[in-house]
Amino acid sequence: MSNSNDGRVSQVIGSILDARFPEDHLPPIYNALKIDVEREVLGESRTETLWCEVAQHLGGGRIRAVALDSTDGVQRGARIHDTGKPITVPVGEATLGRVFNLVGEPIDDRGPVTVDDYKSIHREPPELPDLLAKTELFETGIKVMDLLCPLVRGGKAGLFGGAGVGKTVIIQELIARLARFHSGYSCFAGVGERTREGNDLWLEMQDAKIGDTGKSVIDQTVMVFGQMNEPPGARLRVALSALTMAEHFRDQTGVDTLLFIDNIFRFSQAGSEVSALLGRMPSAVGYQPTLGTEMGELQERITSTRHGAVTSIQAIYVPADDYTDPAPATAFTHLDSTVNLERSISEKGIYPAVDPLASSSRIVAPEYLGERHYRVARQVQQSLQRYKDLQDIIAILGVDELSEEDKVVVRRARKIERFLSQAFFVAEQFTGMPGVYVSRDDTIRSFEELCEGKWDHLPDQAFMYVGTIEDAAKRAEELAKE
Amino acid sequence: MANRRVLVKRRKAARNIRKITRTMQLISTARFQAAFSAAVAGRPYTDKLAELVGNLARAAKGLKHPLLQRPPEERRSALVVLTSSRGLCGGYNTNVLRLAVEHCDTKADSGADVELDVVGKKGIAYLKYLRREVAEEITTISDRPRFEEVEPLANTMMQRFVAGELDSVWIVYMKFISAGKQRPVVERLLPLSPEETLGIKGEPRGSQVQYEFSPAPEELLEELLPATVRVRLYQAFMDAAVSEHLARMVAMKAATDAAEEMIRRLTLQYNRARQTQITMELLDIVGGANALT
Repeated sequence: MSNSNDGRVSQVIGSILDARFPEDHLPPIYNALKIDVEREVLGESRTETLWCEVAQHLGGGRIRAVALDSTDGVQRGARIHDTGKPITVPVGEATLGRVFNLVGEPIDDRGPVTVDDYKSIHREPPELPDLLAKTELFETGIKVMDLLCPLVRGGKAGLFGGAGVGKTVIIQELIARLARFHSGYSCFAGVGERTREGNDLWLEMQDAKIGDTGKSVIDQTVMVFGQMNEPPGARLRVALSALTMAEHFRDQTGVDTLLFIDNIFRFSQAGSEVSALLGRMPSAVGYQPTLGTEMGELQERITSTRHGAVTSIQAIYVPADDYTDPAPATAFTHLDSTVNLERSISEKGIYPAVDPLASSSRIVAPEYLGERHYRVARQVQQSLQRYKDLQDIIAILGVDELSEEDKVVVRRARKIERFLSQAFFVAEQFTGMPGVYVSRDDTIRSFEELCEGKWDHLPDQAFMYVGTIEDAAKRAEELAKE
Repeated sequence: MANRRVLVKRRKAARNIRKITRTMQLISTARFQAAFSAAVAGRPYTDKLAELVGNLARAAKGLKHPLLQRPPEERRSALVVLTSSRGLCGGYNTNVLRLAVEHCDTKADSGADVELDVVGKKGIAYLKYLRREVAEEITTISDRPRFEEVEPLANTMMQRFVAGELDSVWIVYMKFISAGKQRPVVERLLPLSPEETLGIKGEPRGSQVQYEFSPAPEELLEELLPATVRVRLYQAFMDAAVSEHLARMVAMKAATDAAEEMIRRLTLQYNRARQTQITMELLDIVGGANALT
């Protein structure tokens, strides 16, 4: 198999390797390279293919490449083959219901995938005239999100949060809620998160049925995983692979496509690992100098065009709960809706721990949501903001020192705060409470009445994990009986 | 980091508040002691007066006096609410006012018209906030009440009661029981009832001596009954004042402690944030320097 497209490995450092190619046959940047590696797997010797991607040209026929899998067993002098094209992934309807790794190989043990088309994972974002700016609300049935940071159909939403505040649970809940009632296709990209969670999700999607069609959610879904166990090169590219598959559905079939990514931060993190290995000078807080560019290249491709809409929901880890960290900060600007999860709220036992004051959406404006929804959303935020401002005073002097008006505000804000909690479908087995879907109209009406003071007489406890305001009244009766 | 500046600001605010609350605590401690001795000093006089009136009332059986006259129906009633003019005294006003409102509502339910005479800015503000009509706003009596200040109020009430304008007069205030216990109470000021208010509950206390009175008991009572009303009202004011100072003392002590706790927490957070920033900057500098060499 020796030909002019072959080179030799000259250096291996972690997941970065250098290779020497004939000067007249240098593989261009982003081309995929293959190495056959002999590995011992369970006592058996096997030949596996290691994929690499050209990242730098070093001069003198040398190139530097990022390995997309472990470089265990690679030797200097090993033959490295230029495939002549970038990494491609299979696209089309045949991919539905399957699980892939980032180079498009199925990893669910269900045999090979035969498709008509393979597409490069590196593509240009859609042209400016092709872009579509929709401002239609995408109802989730989750009160706090529909009211304060509604998702946009065909837009991008980010779930920000520190470790263990419930990002993944919300993403899975949204999959359960949206994919179940969604007529189009869904793509899920597992980027650098726990492999176990990916497995759970896969099994869950097989059980979940779409509406009453009898079809499993998985039959309309493609999953691509490059989890924590993978080297940085894989985690850096897996989002692109999933995105490429989603783009195909958008451009070719024109149906609405949902793209879930958990977790975009891992993409930035992998980029920083690769950057360091490539020898680039670190920038702020040790991140790669190209942080913004990398994020922009990914995010700009996740967009709706005239051909079809891609609605994406991304989980974004916030290191040490610090929102000023460059990685979440660069992701921020690309989103239509930002949902901030706050530790202090999850500590109160209120889930979803959405921060009602920091979360927002582009479409929170009267011309998109209507006068009433806008007014109620602002009222709720005002009330909570006032409560937050007063918190220090209450902590020191006690509630009794507040003026009568402020006391009412505080009492109502406490109820609102609790009323923002909601039981989830996917958390049912943990909480023992069945999930609730609250329509947007019910949400608005409930909060409107709450702000007007119609329900001041109910105890605070009655507002925890209920659906509509009537459910809260019912709960209050039950509590009174106990 | 922006976070750090916020912490500094909050800590400063907490420190300022602590300064104020600690001062207030010291002041109320001093005032409480003064009010306490004043109230205690008045007790023997009040007790003796009650005893005397009791003896007189027994001596003059079948006594008839306008201040003892119970109208057949309670249609117009007055409620004197004693609250403070200053805040920062914890639940003091809230508790008194809650009882006052409760009393008003029960009276209103039984068909009586309740007129509110409110002492103290806090009570006035609260009742106005509830959109209840306040007949008289009294803010001239300080938290160190003097008899001359209270007397006119007692006189007006008696006059109006005797004239038939009012069928009853009630008073709600924070009763001082001991330094550890104060309770909001509603008491009837008028009509005076010999059983409840004149210290003759069941068997009379002390020695059963038959006094001879001169001038006649009726004449003496003419003088002593109004005095009883005045003293009782004054005593209520004194109790309210003692309770207020005590409530403020306790509230300010708790506030100072809470502020201290908050300062401690904020300092910890601030130090941590500061250290984080220093570490980050060092990492950036070292990283940059390493990359250059």
